[in-house]
Amino acid sequence: MGVHNRLAVFRAERSMSRKALADAISVNPQTIGYLERGDYAPSVELALKISALFGVPVEHLFSLTPFVPLAQSLKDPET
Amino acid sequence: MYARSKRYPFGRSISRPVIRLLTAGLYAGYPAGCLLQLLPATGAGLWAHFAGLALIVVAVGCFLSIAMSSVQRQAQEVDAQLDERERAERDHAGYRAHALFSCVVLLGILYIALVSDLVANGKADLWLPQGYEGWNAIFWGAMMLALTLPAAVLGWRRGLPDVD
Repeated sequence: MGVHNRLAVFRAERSMSRKALADAISVNPQTIGYLERGDYAPSVELALKISALFGVPVEHLFSLTPFVPLAQSLKDPET
Repeated sequence: MYARSKRYPFGRSISRPVIRLLTAGLYAGYPAGCLLQLLPATGAGLWAHFAGLALIVVAVGCFLSIAMSSVQRQAQEVDAQLDERERAERDHAGYRAHALFSCVVLLGILYIALVSDLVANGKADLWLPQGYEGWNAIFWGAMMLALTLPAAVLGWRRGLPDVD
């Protein structure tokens, strides 16, 4: 069971580069790529660091079930 | 062990196909070169002798390139310099490398034990390491294998992207 995330969406919203995000949470920029692709599931500490950086609860960024696509959630806000 | 430089403090970044090519060159080139060096350096064997020497030089070049790479840095770096993903990958690669190296050493010992017996009884005429040259070749081969195997495991993992 993988960990799904919306990291790329949040990063794009804030126009942050992978390097800027990586520097802010003290990881290698490659690790951001691994996280966004779902190739690596972060530790609780790293997930909390990232959600604190974006100022959102951790469950807005990470989930054990796939997130509803952005276009679909705009079309149907109930989902 | 990995090489640092002012220009590449975290090792030279190389793609996954290149690290695979370098490790294949090292692990195939060095033993092949050593075997060709066993041939007598006279007549037709002279060319094989030089070809063996060239293969060893290529293998050492591959070893140096691996030693200067970012993959080798990740495999050999201290904990404080790696993030949690890099540490997890390094630990996994170290575990795999230990198992592989142990298998190679045990197979080598088994070969020497069996062949020693066969040669002593005159039942076979197979190669055994003898004298300084034979053991020197094995020593440097084992050293290069031990130092680069974790990086090779990192480079040969499947299902990961070539570049970020």
